[in-house]
Amino acid sequence: MGIETSKGYKQVIKWLKLSRKKPFRFQTDAWQYYAEGYCGLVNAPTGFGKTFSLFLAVVIEELNSRTEKKGIASKKKKADTGLKLIWITPLRALAKDLARAMREVCAELELDWQVSVRNGDTSAAEKLKQKKQMPEVLIITPESMHLLLAQKNTATHFHHLQCIVADEWHELMGSKRGVMAELAISRIRGIVQEKHPERLLRIWGISATIGNMEQALEVLVPYPEVFKIIIKADIEKKIKIKSILPDHIDMLPWAGHLGHKLAHKLLPIIHKSKTTLIFTNTRGQAELWYQNLLNLDENLAGQIAIHHGSIDFELRNWIEDALHSGILKAVISTSSLDLGVDFKPVDTVVQIGSPKGVARFLQRAGRSGHSPHETSVIYFLPTHALELVEAAAIKEAAKTQQIESRDPVVMAFDTLVQYLVTLAVGDGFDDQKIYREVKETHAFSELLPSEWGWIMQFITTGGDSLTAYTEFSKVLKKEGLWKVESRQIAMRHRLHIGTIVSDPMLKVKYLGGGFIGMVEESFISKLKAGNSFTLAGRVLEFIMVKEMTALVRRSKKKSAITPSWMGGRISLSANLGSILRKKYNETLEKNHQDEELDIILPLFERQAKVSHVPKSDEFLIELIHTKDGYHFFAYPFEGRQVHEVMAALIAFRLSRQTPISFSIAMNDYGFELLSEYPIPLDEANIKELFSPANLGEDIVGSINSTEMAKRKFRDIACISGLVFQGFPGKYTANKHLQSSAALFFNVFSDYDPHNLLLRQAYDEAFYQQIEEPRLLAALQRIQLSKIILVKAESYTPLCFPIKVDSLRENMSTEELGQRIERMTAEADQKMRPPHLKSRKKNDHQL
Amino acid sequence: MTISCNGEELILNKERAIYWPAKEMLIISDLHIGKSAHFRKHGIQVPANIGNDDLERLGKLIGFYDPKTLVITGDMFHHKINSDVTLFSEWRKKFGGLKISLIKGNHDLLKSQEYQSLNIDLIPRELISAPFRLIHEQPKSLEKDEYYTISGHIHPGVTIYGKARQRLNLPCFYFGEHHAVLPAFSAFTGLSRIQPEKNDRFYAITPSGIIAV
Repeated sequence: MGIETSKGYKQVIKWLKLSRKKPFRFQTDAWQYYAEGYCGLVNAPTGFGKTFSLFLAVVIEELNSRTEKKGIASKKKKADTGLKLIWITPLRALAKDLARAMREVCAELELDWQVSVRNGDTSAAEKLKQKKQMPEVLIITPESMHLLLAQKNTATHFHHLQCIVADEWHELMGSKRGVMAELAISRIRGIVQEKHPERLLRIWGISATIGNMEQALEVLVPYPEVFKIIIKADIEKKIKIKSILPDHIDMLPWAGHLGHKLAHKLLPIIHKSKTTLIFTNTRGQAELWYQNLLNLDENLAGQIAIHHGSIDFELRNWIEDALHSGILKAVISTSSLDLGVDFKPVDTVVQIGSPKGVARFLQRAGRSGHSPHETSVIYFLPTHALELVEAAAIKEAAKTQQIESRDPVVMAFDTLVQYLVTLAVGDGFDDQKIYREVKETHAFSELLPSEWGWIMQFITTGGDSLTAYTEFSKVLKKEGLWKVESRQIAMRHRLHIGTIVSDPMLKVKYLGGGFIGMVEESFISKLKAGNSFTLAGRVLEFIMVKEMTALVRRSKKKSAITPSWMGGRISLSANLGSILRKKYNETLEKNHQDEELDIILPLFERQAKVSHVPKSDEFLIELIHTKDGYHFFAYPFEGRQVHEVMAALIAFRLSRQTPISFSIAMNDYGFELLSEYPIPLDEANIKELFSPANLGEDIVGSINSTEMAKRKFRDIACISGLVFQGFPGKYTANKHLQSSAALFFNVFSDYDPHNLLLRQAYDEAFYQQIEEPRLLAALQRIQLSKIILVKAESYTPLCFPIKVDSLRENMSTEELGQRIERMTAEADQKMRPPHLKSRKKNDHQL
Repeated sequence: MTISCNGEELILNKERAIYWPAKEMLIISDLHIGKSAHFRKHGIQVPANIGNDDLERLGKLIGFYDPKTLVITGDMFHHKINSDVTLFSEWRKKFGGLKISLIKGNHDLLKSQEYQSLNIDLIPRELISAPFRLIHEQPKSLEKDEYYTISGHIHPGVTIYGKARQRLNLPCFYFGEHHAVLPAFSAFTGLSRIQPEKNDRFYAITPSGIIAV
C-alpha cells in the first residue's frame, strides 16, 4: 500500500502546500520506505531538506497512528508520551538549529511534541527535566548518548522509541565518535528488542556524498535481518568556485599558512555579499584573520564575528543567532560551522588555505546558497604560492565529482573499554548479552572471544595474574551484573566520556566575571602576568590562573600573540594528490584553462631553473647541503601522513647499512630527511630504496623506532580511562592520580606487553597513520616513474614549505647510548629552554 | 660518576641515587611506594611488578655501597597504606641494620606510628648535614646561607638537543649554584623539565650510565 493514501501523509502535503512547497522525490521515497519498516541512508545535496526526509517520515507515522488509536481508546493517550526519535548530530552548533526547525514543523502541524537538545552545553536543570519526562524528539551528540547510558534506569527512556537518525553520518563514521554511535545504537536496539520484541526500531543515516556510500550504510546498520536502502536524490547542486588571485606571484610567500598578503582582496568580496562565512583550518588562524580584517577595515567592527570550538557557548549562540538574522557581515570560523547549519543570509563562502580534500571543500561551499536551486559560491584564498595549484586541482575534482571515501574505525579497544565502564556506571551489564551486541556492530565484528576476555579482565581485575594487578578495583559483579560501585570512579568516568582528546584546557574569564572561551593549559603556562593574547577576537591581558581558570582583563593593546590550539593536522587526500600531480604537469606545458596555473608559472620557472618541476610520470629528489646538515627532499605528493611513514621507511632502509640518524620533516607535497652526515644516495639505489618489496617488514622495523605508536597511545590512554584530561571549570583530578600517557606506554611495554591497548596503538599507527595500502600504491607508482635527482645549491621553491611548515620527529637506528654519546660530543651542542622555538628562526633563512 | 660539590665528593649512580662516601650515606628521592597500588585502587590499571622492581633496585644499591644511612628526600610513600607498602615492610626486614631517614614530602601522609613500625626516622622539614641541607621541596624564597640544598619533588628531566634537530628527554640530576635536585627514584614517575640557568650542571641518566650535559 502506498503511503500517499494515509491521513498523516495528506496532512503533511497539505501543510507543505500552504507554504507553496512540494516534497522532493527522495523525500517521499524516504517516507515510504520508513513506513514500510526499512532502515537506510539518505544522500542529498545540502539545502534540499535532508532533515525533513526523515523527520517528517516519523511525524507522518505518528499522525497515522493517532488516527488509528482515536477510535479505539482515547484514554491511553497520556501514556504514549515519551522518546520517539533520537537524532544524533556530531556538532553542538547543529542541534539548536535542528530543534528550531523541528519545533516549527510540530507547531504548524499542531503536533504536541517536545523537541529537546542534549549535549555538553545542556544545563543541569534541563537534563533533570528530561530525566523526569523525556521529550518526543531528542537531539543528541554521541557523547551525550553514552552519558545517558551511564545513568541509572536508562532502559525506561526507550519504551516508545521508533527511530534513531544519525545526521552527518559521513562525518561521524570516520572517527571513534562513530564507534561510540555504533555502540550506543547497539545497546538501545538491544533494550528495545528485549522490552518490545514486536517493535521494529528503524535506524537511518543522513550523509553527504562520499566515495563509499554502501559501506557507510553497512556500518550504521550492520544487522543482516533488516531491510536496507540508500536513497540518493537525483538533484545537482550548482557550485561556483573562484580563486582569489594575487596580481603577481611575488605577492604570495613560498610558505606559510596565514595568507594575510591577499586579505585586501577579500574586503570587496565581503562588502558585496550579504553575509560571508570565512573558513580557516585552525582556531589560531581564525583569531589572526579576525584581527587582520579589523585592521584593514575599521568599519567592519561590530559587523564581523569569530566562531570556533574554544569560544564560550553563550557567545557562539549569539553569533549563530546573528547569522540567522543577517546582522553580521562576516563570520570567521573553523570546522565548528562546517556541517549542515542552514544560515539563510549566507550567500558567500571563503576558504582560507588548502581544505586538503574535495569532500570538505564542497561541504563548506554548501554553506552558501542554502536554498534549493540557489548557486553556492565559494572563494579560495591561497596562503602560499603552491596552494594555487591545489585550487586548480580542487576545481577539477569538483567538476568531475572525484570525492574521497571515509574509512570507518574498527577494533577501537579503548572506546570499547570506555563503553563497558559506562554501562557499568549505569545500570550494570550482562557480559554475555553485551558481547553479542558488540560483536554485531561493524566496529567489532572481528572481535575474538579472547580479546573480549582480555577487555573484561582489564576492567575487572586490571590485567592478567602474571603482572599481579593486586588491589585493583573498578568493575565488580553484583547480582549477576557488572557494575561500578565506587562513586568516585563513577563520577570520574562520567566526566571523561568521549573520544576527543585535547590538551588540558583552561577556561578564560574576565576578572569581573564573564567567560570568553578556552585555551590550552600549555599556552597559558608560557604567559606571564601582564602579557596579552587574543581570544574570540578580543585582546586580553593575562592576570593569573586560579582554580583552572585563567583570569584576564581587556587589554589596551591593538595586537597580541594568538594561542595555538593543537588540533590534529589534516592530510591531503590521495584523491586530491593525484589530481595535483596532473596539474603540475599542465603548468609548465601551458595546456590548461586554469588562471591559477598562469599566475604560478614564474615560480615554476624558477623551480625549473634551480632544480626541476616534476611531471606526473617523474619522481623528483633534491639533495642540498647547508650548515644545518645534509638534506634529502623527495616529492611523492601523497599527503603529510603517507610522507611521514615513507620518510621513516626510507630513513630506516638508508640506515640499515650504516648507523645514521635523521630528523624528518614533511608536508603534503613531500618530505625531508636531514642528517649531519652525507646521505649515501645516488641514481642507482633510489629505486631500491623506494621499493615495495618487504614493505610490511620494513614498516614494522621503522615504526618501532619512530615511536608513532607512543603518540597514538596518548589518545588511547585518555579514552580508556588511564589518564585524565583536565576539564575547565570542573577540575576534579586527584593530585595523587596524575600521570601521563607516555609513562603508561613505557610501563605496559615493560610489564604487560600483551596489553591490547598497546596493540591498538600499534594497529592505529599501522592502519590509520601508515595507510599501508596507499603507501604501497605510491611506491609502485614511484617504481614506474622516471627518477630525477638534483643536487641544488640552496633551498628551492618546492622544498622551502617543507622546511618551514613541518612536523618533526626523530628516527634513528643507532643505539640510544651511542646516540647520546655522539650528540653530547658535539661541540655546538647546547641546551635550549623548551619554550623557545628557535629553530623557526633558522628556517626562514634561505 | 663522581663529582665534587661544595668540597664534598658525591657519587651519582645511574639507578637514580647519590652516594656520599664521607658520611656513608645513600640519598634518593621520590620513591613513591604505593603509587601503583593507589592507582589500581582507583580503577586505573598499573602493573604491580613496577613497585617491586623499584625496591629490588634499591636493594641492589644498598648491597653495593653498604651505606650506614639511607636518606630519602621526600615522597617515599604515595598517599596511603596499601599492598605496595606491605611489600615494602617485607623488604625492610632484609635490611634491619640500615638506618632510614625520611624527610617528609607532600605525598608522605602516613601516621607517625606507621613510620615507626616500618623503622623509619621521620624528619619533618629538613636534615642538615654540613655542608648540605637535605629537604623535599626547594623553598621558593630561600635565603642563601652556608648550606647547599639538595632536594627532590619535581622529578627533573633534561632535553638533549643534537644536530639535525634531534631531541631526547631523560631524567637527570640537577646541580645549580645554590641547590641540587635529585631525579625521582621510582620508575613510575614522569619528568618535568628544568629551565637551565648560568653555571648549572645537568647529569642525564641513560640506560648505560650517567653523562654530564
